[in-house]
Amino acid sequence: MIITVTRFFLFFVVIFLAACERQPAAYHEQLLVFGTVVDVQLWGVEPKQGQQAVARLAEDFDYMHNTWHAWHPGPLGRVNELLATGQPFSAPPSILPLIERGTELSRRSGGLFNPAIGKLIALWGFASDDPPKGPPPSDAAIRAIVDQHPSMTDIRRDGIQIQAQNPALKLDFGAFAKGYAVDRAIEVLRELGINNAVVNAGGDLRAIGRHGERPWRVGIRHPREAGILASVEVQGDESVFTSGDYERYFDWQGKRYDHIIDPRTGYPAQGLSSVTVFSQLADLADAAATALFVAGPEEKNWLPVARAMGISGAILVDDTGNIQITPGIRERLYFEPRGDSQLPPEVQLSAPL
Amino acid sequence: MMGFKLSRGDRLVWLLAATLLAGLYTAFWQADGHGAEAVVLVNGKRWARLDLFHNQDLEVPGPLGHSHIQVRDGQARFVDSPCPNKLCVHTGWLSQGGEVAICLPNKVSLQILASDPRFDAINF
Repeated sequence: MIITVTRFFLFFVVIFLAACERQPAAYHEQLLVFGTVVDVQLWGVEPKQGQQAVARLAEDFDYMHNTWHAWHPGPLGRVNELLATGQPFSAPPSILPLIERGTELSRRSGGLFNPAIGKLIALWGFASDDPPKGPPPSDAAIRAIVDQHPSMTDIRRDGIQIQAQNPALKLDFGAFAKGYAVDRAIEVLRELGINNAVVNAGGDLRAIGRHGERPWRVGIRHPREAGILASVEVQGDESVFTSGDYERYFDWQGKRYDHIIDPRTGYPAQGLSSVTVFSQLADLADAAATALFVAGPEEKNWLPVARAMGISGAILVDDTGNIQITPGIRERLYFEPRGDSQLPPEVQLSAPL
Repeated sequence: MMGFKLSRGDRLVWLLAATLLAGLYTAFWQADGHGAEAVVLVNGKRWARLDLFHNQDLEVPGPLGHSHIQVRDGQARFVDSPCPNKLCVHTGWLSQGGEVAICLPNKVSLQILASDPRFDAINF
C-alpha cells in the first residue's frame, strides 16, 4: 500500500519536474546584412527550420541591399543615370515596386517623405559610406536643387517605361528601403510557415505572433541618454520604427547636422531628436518616421501628417527632451524607473490620431 | 485517511524531489533581466562568450583591425574601434539583457545575454 501511494506521488513529482523543462522553441540569430545588424528571433521552430529560414533571409537582404543601394553601383544607380537623361526607358522589375510604393507614401506624407531628393542627400555628403565631416554645402547649391522641387510625381510611368520630367530628380530610398525589406522578410517567414517572429533591422523592427506564452517585449532606446526610454509589448503584427538625429550626422562649428533632410528647405530637419512610429507595415512606419521628423515638434504640424499616413501611434522626443505621445500608445508604454532621484520623463499627450 | 507511514527512504525521495524542484525553479525561471553574460560576434559568428563579472579587456580582430572591448562589474562596452564614426563607442556601457553595440565597419558586435531578457528587441 505504502509503495503504491509513494509511486503515485512520485508519478506526480516526475510530471511536475517534466513541466519545468524548457521548450527548445526559440531561435535567435544575428546577420550583418543590409549595412546593419539584422536580429532575427523566431518562436516555435526547430533549430534546423530556423537556420534555413534565417539563411534565406540573409540571401534576400543581400540582394535587396545591392539592388536598392543609393550610391553603390547597381540597378538603382543605373536607373538614376537613365532618369537623368530625361528619356523614357524600361525600369528593372526590382526597382519598379519601390518607385510605386515610394510615390504612394510620399503623396500621403504631403511630400515630407520624399525619395526623389537623392541629389540633396548626396550634396550634404550622406550618400557615402563615411560620415561627412563638413563644412555644410553652400546655400546657393542647396537652393539650386530645392527650387526645382524634385518629387515622385515627376516620374511619368507608362507600363514598365518610366521617364523623369525634372532634372533635379534622383532616387534615394534610404528613408524606407529598410522598412520595405523588413516587410519582405516577414512575408518570406510566413511563406515558410513561421508565424511568431521579430525581424529587427538595426533597431527598426516588425513583430508577428508572440514569444510563446507572452507578447514580444520591445525596449525603445532613449535618444539622448544611455539606456531605455520606455518599453512596449507587441503581439499580432506591428512595426516599430525610429528616426533619430543620432543615427547619422556631423558636427560643424558647434552645430549638429543630421541626415534627415527637409525637402522644403534642403536643410536638416530641426527641433526633434527622435520619432518612433507604430504601424502594421514596416515600410509605412519607416516613411512616416521620416515624415514626422521633418514635420517638426509642433503638434499642429505633425499630427495631420500622422493622420494622413494612417499610422497607429507615435512618440516624439524634441531636442530639449520633451516627449509627446499619441493616446493609444501612452496606455501601452511602460516607462523605466530611472534611479531614485529621477522622476519619469515629462510626457505630453497629443490629440488622438 | 489510508493510514500509511512514510519510510525513511520515502522521506528522502520527497526531500530530494522538493530540493530539486526548488533548485530547478531558481536556475531556469527566476531572472531579474540583468544580464550576466555577453556574446561577441565577429562577422555574425560567435567569437567569445563573456562573464560580465569577470573584469577583462579584449582585443577583437575584425577586418579593419582590433576592436577594444572592456568588461567591468557586470557591464561591457566598446572602448575603441577602428571605424570612422565610433557609433559603437558612443553606445556606452551595456548591462541589460538584449542591449547591443555594433561596430559595423569592423563587423564586431557585443550583446548582453540574459536568461530571461527583459526585451526581445531594442528599437532605436
